[in-house]
Amino acid sequence: MQIGLSEYLIVGAVLFVAGVVCMATKRNGIGVLMGVELVLNGANVNFVAFARYTPLGLDGQIISLFVIVLAAAEAAVALAIALNFYNNHMTIDVDRGDQLKG
Amino acid sequence: MALLLSAIIFAPTIGAILLLFFDRKAIEPMRYTALAVTVVTFLLSLGLLVPFDTAMPDIQPNGEGGIQAGIVVEWIPDWEIFYRLGYDGISLPLILLTSFISLLAMLASWNITKQVRGYLILFLLLETGMLGVFLALDFFLFYVFWEVMLLPMYFLIGIWGGPRKEYAAIKFFLYTLAGSILMLIAMLMFYFGSASYTPGGHPTFNLLQLGEIAREGGFDPGMQLAAFILLFIGFAIKIPTFPFHTWLPDAHVEAPTPISMILAGVLLKMGGYGIIRIAFPLCPHGAYVAAWALVAIGAFSIIYGAFAAMAQTDFKRLVAYSSVSHMGYVLVGIAVWQIHELGGTDYWQMGMMGAMFQMIAHGISSAGMFFMVGVVYDRVHHRDLNRFGGLAGLMPLYSGLAAGIFFAGLGLPGLCGFIGEVFVVLSAWNYSPALAIVAAGGVILTAGYILWTLQRVYLGAEYKGPHPEALTPMVGREIFVAGVLLVFAIVLGVFPFLMFDLMDASTAQLVQSLEQGYQAAEAKAADVAAVLKERLLR
Amino acid sequence: MLDWIWILLTAAWLLPLLGFAVEVFGGYWQQSRRDRTPALIAVACIGAGFVLSVAAFIIWGSETHWGVFAAEPEHGDVPAQQAVEDTTREAAAEDASELQPADAGQQHSYRKAISGTIYTLARFGDLKLSIDYYVDSLTLVMFMMVTLIATCIHIFALGYMSDELTDEYVDHQAHTAGGDHVHRPGRYYLFFSYMSLFCFSMLGLVLAGNIFQVFIFWELVGICSYLLIGFYVERHSASTAANKAFIMNRVGDFGFLIGLMVIWTYFGTFSLGPETIGDETRPGIFAMVRNAEGGLDIRNESGSPVVHLNGSVAEADDAGAADGEAAVTAERTIPYWLLVVAGLGVFAGCIGKSAQFPLQTWLPDAMEGPTPVSALVHSATMVAAGVYLAGRFYPVFTPDVLLVMSYVGCITLFLAATIAVVATDIKRVLAYSTISQLGYMMLGIGVAGWAAGLFHLITHAFFKSLMFLCSGSVIIGCHHEQEMPRMGGLRRKMPITAYTMLVGVIAISGLAIPFTILGMKLAFSGYHSKDAIVATALAFNYKNPVHFLLFLVPLVTAGITAFYMFRLWFYTFCGEPRDRHIYDHAHESPRVMTLPLIVLAVFAAGVAVGGEGGPLYRMLLASEPAGVDVGSEAIDPTVAFIPEDVGYALVGQPARAEIHSVHAQAGAFALIAAAAGAVLAFLLYVVRVVDPGEIKRQVGGLYRFLIEKWHFDTLYDVAFVRPVHRVAAALAWFDRVVIDGILHWFANTSVRIASWDRKVDEGLVDGLVNLVGNVTFRVGRSLRAVQTGQLRQYIMFIALGVLSLFVLQFIFFPR
Repeated sequence: MQIGLSEYLIVGAVLFVAGVVCMATKRNGIGVLMGVELVLNGANVNFVAFARYTPLGLDGQIISLFVIVLAAAEAAVALAIALNFYNNHMTIDVDRGDQLKG
Repeated sequence: MALLLSAIIFAPTIGAILLLFFDRKAIEPMRYTALAVTVVTFLLSLGLLVPFDTAMPDIQPNGEGGIQAGIVVEWIPDWEIFYRLGYDGISLPLILLTSFISLLAMLASWNITKQVRGYLILFLLLETGMLGVFLALDFFLFYVFWEVMLLPMYFLIGIWGGPRKEYAAIKFFLYTLAGSILMLIAMLMFYFGSASYTPGGHPTFNLLQLGEIAREGGFDPGMQLAAFILLFIGFAIKIPTFPFHTWLPDAHVEAPTPISMILAGVLLKMGGYGIIRIAFPLCPHGAYVAAWALVAIGAFSIIYGAFAAMAQTDFKRLVAYSSVSHMGYVLVGIAVWQIHELGGTDYWQMGMMGAMFQMIAHGISSAGMFFMVGVVYDRVHHRDLNRFGGLAGLMPLYSGLAAGIFFAGLGLPGLCGFIGEVFVVLSAWNYSPALAIVAAGGVILTAGYILWTLQRVYLGAEYKGPHPEALTPMVGREIFVAGVLLVFAIVLGVFPFLMFDLMDASTAQLVQSLEQGYQAAEAKAADVAAVLKERLLR
Repeated sequence: MLDWIWILLTAAWLLPLLGFAVEVFGGYWQQSRRDRTPALIAVACIGAGFVLSVAAFIIWGSETHWGVFAAEPEHGDVPAQQAVEDTTREAAAEDASELQPADAGQQHSYRKAISGTIYTLARFGDLKLSIDYYVDSLTLVMFMMVTLIATCIHIFALGYMSDELTDEYVDHQAHTAGGDHVHRPGRYYLFFSYMSLFCFSMLGLVLAGNIFQVFIFWELVGICSYLLIGFYVERHSASTAANKAFIMNRVGDFGFLIGLMVIWTYFGTFSLGPETIGDETRPGIFAMVRNAEGGLDIRNESGSPVVHLNGSVAEADDAGAADGEAAVTAERTIPYWLLVVAGLGVFAGCIGKSAQFPLQTWLPDAMEGPTPVSALVHSATMVAAGVYLAGRFYPVFTPDVLLVMSYVGCITLFLAATIAVVATDIKRVLAYSTISQLGYMMLGIGVAGWAAGLFHLITHAFFKSLMFLCSGSVIIGCHHEQEMPRMGGLRRKMPITAYTMLVGVIAISGLAIPFTILGMKLAFSGYHSKDAIVATALAFNYKNPVHFLLFLVPLVTAGITAFYMFRLWFYTFCGEPRDRHIYDHAHESPRVMTLPLIVLAVFAAGVAVGGEGGPLYRMLLASEPAGVDVGSEAIDPTVAFIPEDVGYALVGQPARAEIHSVHAQAGAFALIAAAAGAVLAFLLYVVRVVDPGEIKRQVGGLYRFLIEKWHFDTLYDVAFVRPVHRVAAALAWFDRVVIDGILHWFANTSVRIASWDRKVDEGLVDGLVNLVGNVTFRVGRSLRAVQTGQLRQYIMFIALGVLSLFVLQFIFFPR
């Protein structure tokens, strides 16, 4: 079986959907972060795949590198938020953080 | 010279600013300062006589017709608005009258004890406005000064007035404002209408230039008539004539004595002055068409005012209605415009000069009458004619002076009122015998109400009202004011040429240029009609 | 030298004015009210005026070589070319005052008037108003008469008014509300200052060189009369009478003013004599309206008569010049009817001033003033000014106006005489007799007896001022009692007063001894002058039989006059005293008062000495307008020219020769009438053949009618005074209710409109704005529920949103 673009895209989509589902279902803040990582990596797969199979050159790889860096930074910030959240609410259940609701 | 004109207008303003630095409690110093300012203003206005040439009637090519000394400074050049001042034989007597009456009214202001500083400041601002009106030769500037004078008057009546002061002040203000709106419309009509006649195609507010345009038959007859009616109503409110006069009795009754003096002595003259200076020269054709109505209104006002005066029981109201009656002569005299008769212009000039003399004479006599009412009101605090009597015995000097001044109002020969009234009436027959007879009928009614008043107030066995103990003799200041007014009434009555010499050349020229203006407009209209007819026939 | 005449007269005129100023101010600021100085100044001023007038007269006489007295004037043969003024002289005003030493007309130079300008009031192009003088023999006579009588009366008043010389004068006729008499400081100085002012005004009136100036002084004497009538200001009756006098005079002056307007408009001048404007000399009114023979130049133009004015070439106005035409010259003309209007207008002024019918009612009331005032102002001078003006202005009066004048005089003289018969107040009798005599003068002038009318004016001034002063003396002697029924027998107490009064009574009645001694009739002045009037009236009657009343009424009234005057004298001075108290306290007046009586009595008796050949009459005759003496010959062109169907009266004026021819006849009639009246009075009041009270009861209705003065006061009150007040009230109401009502309606409507505007503003405009706000707010609020804060929910939204966007894209934009 020839591994083509579609397969990569399917993997990316699976990762993306898994990430979204994870974000939507997990009440644990860390879980949600993990869902975010999955979504980002799903996107990375797509970037790299498009870079490989289309005449875009290295752009895809570069952007995915950016995304990885950003994900790391985001993880740092998000974990800091989670720690603060925990300090304030003694939990990291995101459903408890509804102070800004309308 | 140019400085002098501005100095006359703004000396009172400077005085008013000066008063701001006084302590609120320093009442006497403030009064003396204000008095000094009015004296200085009066002396400055006398300075106008020095360079005045009584025999300078000619229209000069630059349109500065008959204006003796002028000053022109750019003010709002984009709209061709200039700070343009000047005077001639028509305005000079009124300028002198204004500063003179202001001086006397200031002397009469010693009885004002409420918020003296504010009163004095407003008084001086009022004087600035009045002098500005008489000196301005730019329509816009005239309008500005006209409004400047309005506001202090509103407050002077509204704050220092009698029991119904708010009503009177608002009535005065709204009436006059309505008039000035009409004037504003007419002003803009001339401003935009003048563009097609000036050399550069610029519109202008210059009264002399506008007059020159009208003299050469500018502005078409229809527009002239419309503008004349607007201007006339605006000025008629100020004169005031029937039916625009009802603000006057209320304003007079409520205003404090010195303000009544100013109101009757100067403000009413602005109406007549406006007609002579603006309404007539700018729309000669319209004026000629409307002349009969003017004379009729004037004659009717004479009779109407006299009758209304006769029925009053309030002393001040009576004097106020007598003003309506007397100012009717002004209107009659101005408008007896008969040109096709033999020597008709001479009669018209006589009427015009009689009217102008009547303005001066009325300025003196009515200011005097209001002052005399004020003297007795200050003492007994009522003005009910039926509760006076016997003042001749209690205050003989006051009664003597008052009788003299009232006789001046009655038009007794040898006093100023006679000359104006009789000259106007004599000139009127040439215009319309019927209206002349109506106007002359005023002499009987005037004698009736004035003598009846004298009888009720001064004659009789005893004083019938409250506070008889307060009827003390006049103090020196009051004697001075009344005496000076009476002396002027006599001097002008015996030597009227003192005033006529000032006016003669200017009125002669005015009458002449009005005739030319009318004929030019008529000729143009005839040309237009001929052209139209030709076209129609073709 | 001739310049001195007007300079002297001007000085005589201005001196009293100076006196007035000094007296009124000096008197007011004087410490004491007991000082006679102001009065003495007044006497000095007017006395000096008399001296100056006489001096002027002497200069005038010697300059004219006393021509006025030289030749015996033959009736009817005075050369017709004598004009009042010489219009042909082309001299300027200053030169106009110099009579050229005439060669041919030297003996007539006394007929020329001296005129000129003192100063100019105002000039308007070709029109000029000025203060002028106009001096002819009439002016001189009037000046001497006025100053002489005024001097006598001033001296009399020194005594008469002396109870005012106090710091506390008690006025017994003025009461306060509490019923007390009024106490006030004396006003001696004020009385004399008013008198001086009056003298100034009266002399100015006489000297006046133009009709406008006459009007000025006309009003001034009016105001002096007002001040003097109302001298006792505390008395309500006095101030009311003063008002009445002035206002009724103003009614006449209204007519005067109309006359002036017509003259001014059509003549273009007011000047009586030639007038100088710039360097051009123009003829005065008289020369314009009459030609040298005294005729009017009437032409029929387009169906209506028009009078052409001589010597007046007026330039066409600028209207013509502007059309490029050469300066058109046109003669001034005046429609005949307007000339009549002018004459009637001026005459209306005379009616007012001389208290003629229908404006006669003010004069009796004017007796409220002190008696010297009645003597000077209200009998001798001011009220005679109306007659003076009628005489002065005679050339302008057309025959129609003269006829009106005659009838007015005729009605007046009868009406006043009848009232005088029943009056009991001594001063009122004299007042009515004054009105009656003024009527005689008007009648005299009206029937072309120009000199006769003015003759009577002068003689009347003397005997009437005499009688008023006598009555003043009686009033003082009886301690301010004026009712004749309470007097009687006073002859014994005050002989000088009684017999000087008798001189006056005889003079006014026109009694005389019908014989001549040494070529002169033994008659007092009144006989001559009244005789002259009656003779003129008779001649007029012969010429115009239609107007027979103009002779009959004066004749009958001459009898009535004698009756009531003798009644007065008998009532007051003869018989038994009717009030003992008054009689016992009566006393003769001091010498300062009797001396003027004697002087005036001498003049009253002798001023007309020589009758129509005497100096006074000749002086007057010298000023007579051309054309009077030739009668209707001069007027005839007028009459002939006006077609009868125009409706103007056809009146023939008698010539002097015609008058002369009936003189003796008329004199006899008049004398019989007067004698009859006098005898009747004697029978009734001295012999008492019948009790006058009985007659009174017999004709009660008539008596009441006369006592009520023919109900004129009531009539005027109902017809004029009340309607005027009602109209005044109505107009004041109109002003307050209608005009202000309209105004307030506008104001209220504005307020109402404003309140509607407020509603619109608040409801509609604001409503829309608020709606937008509310909707936005409500939408926001409803969307608020979506913001749950549930992170997972948001993610679901995002996911579902993206999904649905994709789905939509595939549905709507399928590839």
